[in-house]
Amino acid sequence: MKRRFRIYYPFVNAGMQQVTTYRVDWIFYLLGNVVHSLVSFFIWQAVFLSGSEETLNGFTMPQMIVYFFLIFISDTMITSDASMMIAEEVRDGSIAMRMLRPVGYNATFLFFELGGKLLTQIVLIVPVVIGVEISRFVLSGVVQFSVLNLLLFFVSTILAYLINLFFSICFGFLAFVIKHIWGTNIMKNCIVSFCSGAMVPLSFMPDALKTVFMLLPFASLNYTPVMIYMGVYQGADLLFYFGLQIFWALFFWALSKLLAMVSAKHLTVQGG
Amino acid sequence: MIEVANLRKEFKKTIKEPGLKGSLKSLFHPQSEQVVAVDNISFHVPKGEILGFIGPNGAGKSTVIKMLTGILTPTSGKCTINGQNPVVNRKNYVKEIGVVFGQRTQLWWDLPLRETYGVLKEIYEVDDKSYRERMAFLNETLDLDSFISRPVRTLSLGQRMRADIAASLLHSPKVLFLDEPTIGLDVVVKDNIRRAIEQINSQEQTTVILTTHDLADIEQLADRIVMIDKGKNVFDGSVRTLKSRYGQMRELNFVTESPHPAETLRYREQFHFAEDDVSVECEGTAVKVRFNSAVVPIADMLSYTLQTVQVSDISVKDADIEEIIRRLYMQGVE
Repeated sequence: MKRRFRIYYPFVNAGMQQVTTYRVDWIFYLLGNVVHSLVSFFIWQAVFLSGSEETLNGFTMPQMIVYFFLIFISDTMITSDASMMIAEEVRDGSIAMRMLRPVGYNATFLFFELGGKLLTQIVLIVPVVIGVEISRFVLSGVVQFSVLNLLLFFVSTILAYLINLFFSICFGFLAFVIKHIWGTNIMKNCIVSFCSGAMVPLSFMPDALKTVFMLLPFASLNYTPVMIYMGVYQGADLLFYFGLQIFWALFFWALSKLLAMVSAKHLTVQGG
Repeated sequence: MIEVANLRKEFKKTIKEPGLKGSLKSLFHPQSEQVVAVDNISFHVPKGEILGFIGPNGAGKSTVIKMLTGILTPTSGKCTINGQNPVVNRKNYVKEIGVVFGQRTQLWWDLPLRETYGVLKEIYEVDDKSYRERMAFLNETLDLDSFISRPVRTLSLGQRMRADIAASLLHSPKVLFLDEPTIGLDVVVKDNIRRAIEQINSQEQTTVILTTHDLADIEQLADRIVMIDKGKNVFDGSVRTLKSRYGQMRELNFVTESPHPAETLRYREQFHFAEDDVSVECEGTAVKVRFNSAVVPIADMLSYTLQTVQVSDISVKDADIEEIIRRLYMQGVE
C-alpha cells in the first residue's frame, strides 16, 4: 500500500502542477463553471416564480438553491477527461509511451486527474457551501447545515468520480476502433449530463423514466450525492444508494480492465 | 539475452479513395486490406552487444521495436527478452528496459525536466542513493544541468533528446531500445549522444538495439547489423561482412587534361557492364567512376583508363557503407 502510494503520489503531484502551469486557463475554467451554474439557477428560479405554488415538483425555493449549486460541485468533481486523453494519445500514437511505464494504465489517469481535482475542489467547495447555507438560512430561517451530510456527500462524489472515470476510460477505448472520438464524446457528455440530473432534477421527470435513470449508473453520478447532501436519503435508502454506487464503480472498473486487455491486442500505433 | 523467432505482424488497413467522394464512400462502405508489416523475422542478440537495426523507411523497423518493447502484440511468432515475454507481463518486463523513440518524448511536457526524473525515480523504485549517483553520471555524460529546471516544452530538440535518453537510463535497464535517437540533431549533439551510448554499453554491459538512418551511428556503434526490408530479414552480420559481401563497389578518382573524358572513356562498351555496375561523373577536370569490382578487376579498369586518357593524380577508394546500403535499399536483396 505504502509502495503504491509512493508510485502514484508523483502523478497526483504532477496533476496539481499541470493545473497551475496554465493558471489563467484554470481560472477561466472555474469562472466558466460558476457562470454556468448561476445561469441554470436563474432559469429555474424564473420557472419557479412563474408558478403560483409554494413548491415546484416537490422542491421548495431553498431546496432548489441547494440542488443547483451542489450539482455544480458534484459535476465539476466527477468530470473526467480520461476518454479524451486516451483518444488523443491513440490518435497521435503517444499511448506507446504510457505503455512503457511499469505502472497500471488506468491508475495513471486516476491519480493524475485527482491531483488537479483536489486543487479545484478546495477552491470551489468552501465558498459555494457557505453561500448556499447562508441563502438557505435567510430564506427558511433555520440552520439546516449538517456536517455529517457534507462528509457523506464527499464520499459519494468520490464514488461518483470513480464511476465516471472508469466509464470514460471504457469509452476512450472506443478510440482504438474509431480513432477519433471528439464528436462521440460530446454526445456522451450530453447524455450523461441529462440523465444524471445535472440539467433537470430527476424528480421532475416521469416516474418510469426516473426509476430507469436511478438504477442505471446515471443517477449515481450527480443526483445521488446531492440527495445525500440534502438529507433526502436516510437509513436503508442511504445504504442502498451507496451500494449502487459501489456496484457501478466496480462494474466499470472491471469493464475497463477487460477493454484494456482486449484493445492492447488490437493496438496499432499511429504516426511512426 | 534477446531471442526473436519467426516474428510476424499483420495490420488491417482501411482503404480510402481520394477526395471527398472517397471519404463519403468509406463512411458507408469501409473497405480494408491486410498488410504484413513484419514477416517472419528471427534474430538473436547476446548480452552487451550493440545491434544496429536498419532498413529503408517503412521496412518495419519500428514495428519490430514496438513488439520487442511490449507495445504491440505480435500476430504470430515469439520474442523473449531476459527470459520474459513482453506482452505477458508488461509491468514487470518494462522495468528492465529503457526505450527512446526519437520522434516522441516520455518527458512530462508541461513540467520542469527535473519533475519527470522525480516521477521516474518513484515509478521505477530507484532508491535515493542510486538515484543521486545515477543523475550525477547522466549529467556528466549528457550535460543536463544547464536545462534541468526548465519546462520540457521549452527545450530544444537536442536538449530534449539528451533528456529523453537520460530518462530511459535512470533505472539502469538491462536492454536499451533506441529508435532513431539522432534524428534531426546537429553533428556535435550526435557525437555526444553516440559517446554516451558507447560509454553506457561498455560500463554496464547494457544490450542496445538501435535503429537509425544515420549510417555513421552504425559504423561508430554497432557490433552487428540486422537489415530488414519490406518486413523481411535481408542481412544479419557484422559491418565488415556487409562490406565484403556487398561492397565490391569501388570508386576511381582521377584528374585528366583530356577533353570530354566521359565520351572518350567507354567503360560500358569495353567491359560489358550492366546498368547499375558503373557510373561516371565529371566535374571540370575531376572524374569519378563508380564500378563493381566483382565484374571487372581493378587492374583492368586502371590500365584501360590510363591508356585512354591523360591522367594525373589517380586513386581508388573502398566503397563506404553508405554506398552499399544505398544500393541495397534501391535494388533490394536477392
